[in-house]
Amino acid sequence: MGLRDQFPILQRKVNGYPLVYLDNAATTQKPQVVLDAMNDYYSQSNANVHRAVHTLAGEATEGYESCRAKLKQRFNASKVIITSGTTEAINLVAHAWGRANLNKGDAIVLTEMEHHSDIVPWQMLAEERGVELRYVPVTQHFTLDMDAFEHALDGAALVCVVHTSNVLGVRNPLEDIIRLSHQAGAKVLVDAAQGVPHATIDFEAFGADFMAFSAHKMCGPTGIGALLVEPSTFETMQPFMGGGDMIETVTTEGSTYQTNEHKFEAGTPRIAEAIGWTAALEWMESFDLDAEHDRLISIASWVAQCLRDVGMEVYGRHEADDAAVVSFLHPTINSEDMAHLLDARGFAVRTGHHCAQPLLTRLGISGTVRASFYVYNTREEAEGFVAEIREIVEKFA
Amino acid sequence: MTYPEALQELVEEFQAVDDKRERLEMLFELADEVIELPASHWDEQTRVRGCQSEAHVSVVMEDGRIQFLSAADARMVQGLMGILTIALDGLTPAQAVLISPAFAEEMGLLNTLTPSRSNGFRNMYDKVMNEIRQSMEG
Repeated sequence: MGLRDQFPILQRKVNGYPLVYLDNAATTQKPQVVLDAMNDYYSQSNANVHRAVHTLAGEATEGYESCRAKLKQRFNASKVIITSGTTEAINLVAHAWGRANLNKGDAIVLTEMEHHSDIVPWQMLAEERGVELRYVPVTQHFTLDMDAFEHALDGAALVCVVHTSNVLGVRNPLEDIIRLSHQAGAKVLVDAAQGVPHATIDFEAFGADFMAFSAHKMCGPTGIGALLVEPSTFETMQPFMGGGDMIETVTTEGSTYQTNEHKFEAGTPRIAEAIGWTAALEWMESFDLDAEHDRLISIASWVAQCLRDVGMEVYGRHEADDAAVVSFLHPTINSEDMAHLLDARGFAVRTGHHCAQPLLTRLGISGTVRASFYVYNTREEAEGFVAEIREIVEKFA
Repeated sequence: MTYPEALQELVEEFQAVDDKRERLEMLFELADEVIELPASHWDEQTRVRGCQSEAHVSVVMEDGRIQFLSAADARMVQGLMGILTIALDGLTPAQAVLISPAFAEEMGLLNTLTPSRSNGFRNMYDKVMNEIRQSMEG
């Protein structure tokens, strides 16, 4: 069975036309193996984890912890906290590490390229703790201003940077950012939500202190993600959410906590989602992700040029390591209208500010239309998309 | 769902068209039906909040009847404003608040009426109806 054939949703029609799903930077579709794994769990093994000794509980625990083991293996990480997604992972760093380690007068370096999920938690912490926030600007070439970054590092305690922009598809020079940050004595958090779907990252070699990402952008279920933490940094984090599963003992006088990742996973976790994610991670080993990425960036680059040729402003550069994301605007056709016209022919794209308002403010716009490609998208779909855009421009511009 | 006569006719007209692209084109033409709220009158009071596009509305009462002024930079949103303009024309506030937003779904224009960041129409409809209700209380 071909890769694309493993996604049942891609067989459906939308408004009478075959679905062409180009909203992958928002979420990806799920292959049958992921749907089956989750269905099998609920059909055969549903139980709570880490507690009971009965057979189902053992199977559920095994399934849940297999996800952590798979993540450790895939990303070469020794500390993997399972969260509800990238947003919760970043908030966890703000609460569990930030509150324990940052105080008035400390500085956090952010960039204008960040998703709101890597801005708002820091603004909340800054308000609570009197921490200074410094924003690295984005240049007219859609890259971070690295001179400004180096300047901002002076005295910084933490650098929070997006691996790959969800609007521009630009992959940041993370190796330089991590090296310079560590030289300056700052920890580094990488928001890799858009990075991990396109590249396998060796977390230990990468050298970041925290890395956050979500399952649903890499063919896994929604509602689950992970925070990878460098081991010595892990030891400086304090529990954030209290409850079941994260404790060692509880008395009426007080509690002691687990020492492993469970310390940060209070309450019943996302068991079915973890099992689905494991299936997705295993499925992603069935093809060459690097080769797929090369194919997709070639498609994105071609689409970007075709859109420029019909008068679109394209935001992004589409270099080899960038994600296959094409953000664009037409000078006279409203982006929301464009998205509705495309939807009428089965094309799913995203419009709006993409939860990155500071970036769009820097670019002087309020939103874009965004087409984002993933492993099941074909060259033929891209050609159909370009043809549809040409027709819309001809008729409505 | 039944609607005031002019709106009912529009609903049926749209329902007779199978192709969504054609329905959108019909909708875009209805954008010209709005009583335009000039940009010079746009402010935070008129802004439809939570709308992806720039959209402004104002409800004015004249002799107990509604006058609905509006404008948007998306033809889609302004087209829906055009439909609402036709629907509200000459109605009293008590008649107007009975109009359900379901017409946008029944006309095959929107997939959802759930209020959200991506649903400019619903945000616009709610704001207009709230202003009409407030005019009744006032």
